[in-house]
Amino acid sequence: MTAKRLRIIALLAISTVFLLAWAFPILWSVLNSLKTDSDVLAYPPKLVFAPTLEAYRDVLFGSGSILPNLLSSVIISVGTTIVTMLMAVPAAYALARLRFRGKKFAGFYVLATQMLPPVGIIIPYFLVLRNIGWIDTYQGIILIYLSFSLPFAIWLLVSYFEDIPFEMEEAAYLDGASRLKTLWRIIIPQVRGGIAVTIVFVFLNAWNEFLFAVVLSGNTVRPVTVAMFNFVSVEQTLWAKLAAVSVLAMLPVVVLGVVAQKHIVKGLTVGAVKGGGRR
Amino acid sequence: MVTTAVTSAGIASEEPRSDFGRVLAQRERRFAAALLAPAFLALLATTTFPLLFLVYTSAFRMDLAMPFTNGFVGFENYQVLLSDERFWTSLLVSLVYTGSTVTLQVIIGLALALLVMDMKRGQGWFRVIAILPVVLSPAVVGMIWRTFMLAPEFGIVDFLAINAGLGSKNWLGDPTLAMVSVIAIHTWQWTPFAFMVLLASLASLPEDIYEAARLDRASAWQRFRRITLPLLRPAIVMVIIMRTMVALTAFAAIFTVTAGGPGTATEILNLYAYRKSFTELSIGYGSALAVALLIVTIIISGILFAMRRAK
Repeated sequence: MTAKRLRIIALLAISTVFLLAWAFPILWSVLNSLKTDSDVLAYPPKLVFAPTLEAYRDVLFGSGSILPNLLSSVIISVGTTIVTMLMAVPAAYALARLRFRGKKFAGFYVLATQMLPPVGIIIPYFLVLRNIGWIDTYQGIILIYLSFSLPFAIWLLVSYFEDIPFEMEEAAYLDGASRLKTLWRIIIPQVRGGIAVTIVFVFLNAWNEFLFAVVLSGNTVRPVTVAMFNFVSVEQTLWAKLAAVSVLAMLPVVVLGVVAQKHIVKGLTVGAVKGGGRR
Repeated sequence: MVTTAVTSAGIASEEPRSDFGRVLAQRERRFAAALLAPAFLALLATTTFPLLFLVYTSAFRMDLAMPFTNGFVGFENYQVLLSDERFWTSLLVSLVYTGSTVTLQVIIGLALALLVMDMKRGQGWFRVIAILPVVLSPAVVGMIWRTFMLAPEFGIVDFLAINAGLGSKNWLGDPTLAMVSVIAIHTWQWTPFAFMVLLASLASLPEDIYEAARLDRASAWQRFRRITLPLLRPAIVMVIIMRTMVALTAFAAIFTVTAGGPGTATEILNLYAYRKSFTELSIGYGSALAVALLIVTIIISGILFAMRRAK
């Protein structure tokens, strides 16, 4: 009995340590974002302080506001998501449900495209975009984001399309519906959940991407993950503001992550095993 | 509805009934091609074309800072690469970084999954908290660690180190500590991933085998060695493959935390290719480095996939 109780206590202790280790850096940033710079720098670190929203007010509405950068992040992420889904849903349907020659190869091709190291893609891409004047543009960034979002979305969607029983389509054909109509009216509603999860993932990956963004962004288009660097320089770090910007950059993905929590494991395994994802 | 009627009527009149199946198959192929075309054109343009162009560029001297020296050099970039000490160092750093972080992720992730599996209550907390690091941007994660966690005499890690009697350490300024730090950060962010995947596959293992093992008085360790580990093997190998691919081309967190420094202490091959191309503006040589990274990736994934098939 005591051995069992000891075991339970040990379990609780270990799990608390790990929960804290994972949650702490995030919680600490949130706390720091509610402090003044002098409170952030206090030693020993302050757990009790007078919270203020000053840092948020400054980074959002002060000079050098990051609102344009948040807007850039939103436009890039939403744009990437829309374009990706418009292309990935039909492609995934074809790969999952239709018979045609070269299907195996097509599937392999989608998989293989994920093997490419992003740095290898961005070097030639940078040269091309520079020539056509697409550096620092939304279309330039969204186009290159397709290189990782499309294979990921296609594979994730294929796994959902494959779950639908074939009888549903056959019944629709027998009733005289066209293929396109069957896809739109019968199949798509069946995979609504899968499509929602895919949208969440594509958005997350686009919001978090960094390497392509750092190379292709400029003064017009600069997502918040890149703009964050404005708050740290060799001379000084704007501690509270940096914390506030970090929290703002985390907010959308954390909300989406927690909301889609139950589906995320499937997304992670399918997407990552077959299609890589964010670095 | 109208179009359907017209096309099926068209088929009926044009083709003999015996060929109906063939016609259907042909229509299916065409439909598939139409559905696949946009995605495949985009993939060609954003992955295959850049790859070919990368290989082409790697045969040139292409220096954006000194354009007058540019020209075709054949395999010269690769010859330089083979005797480039910084290349071999970065390759070694890549292997150490990838090997250690993936090992840590799998061991800690598996241990935690086994632990949480036995918990009657509180599993939900683990699942929610574990999501957080995984969905965060590695760039933001890197920034948080660099400033609030690892900064000397101010970050929490240093605070803990001082209180543990270790004294203040220059976590990102010392070559060895910087390497330990970037490995720790990557491990912190991605262990929850291994944990979630392994927990999910643990939950799907058949309970009756364990019952039988318990009746045979197998110890917990024996049950783990003889049942859990073999059944979990595919999932573990899968996690290793996924995590290795990502660790090899990790960028944002290292870039944010150390930018490869101090010196080249944390410069993985991926980062070297980036720095050569976009900081030193030597695009041709950077391309050759990227091709080298691609070859390393292919070799390592080949080995891992062979591991998956073995046994």
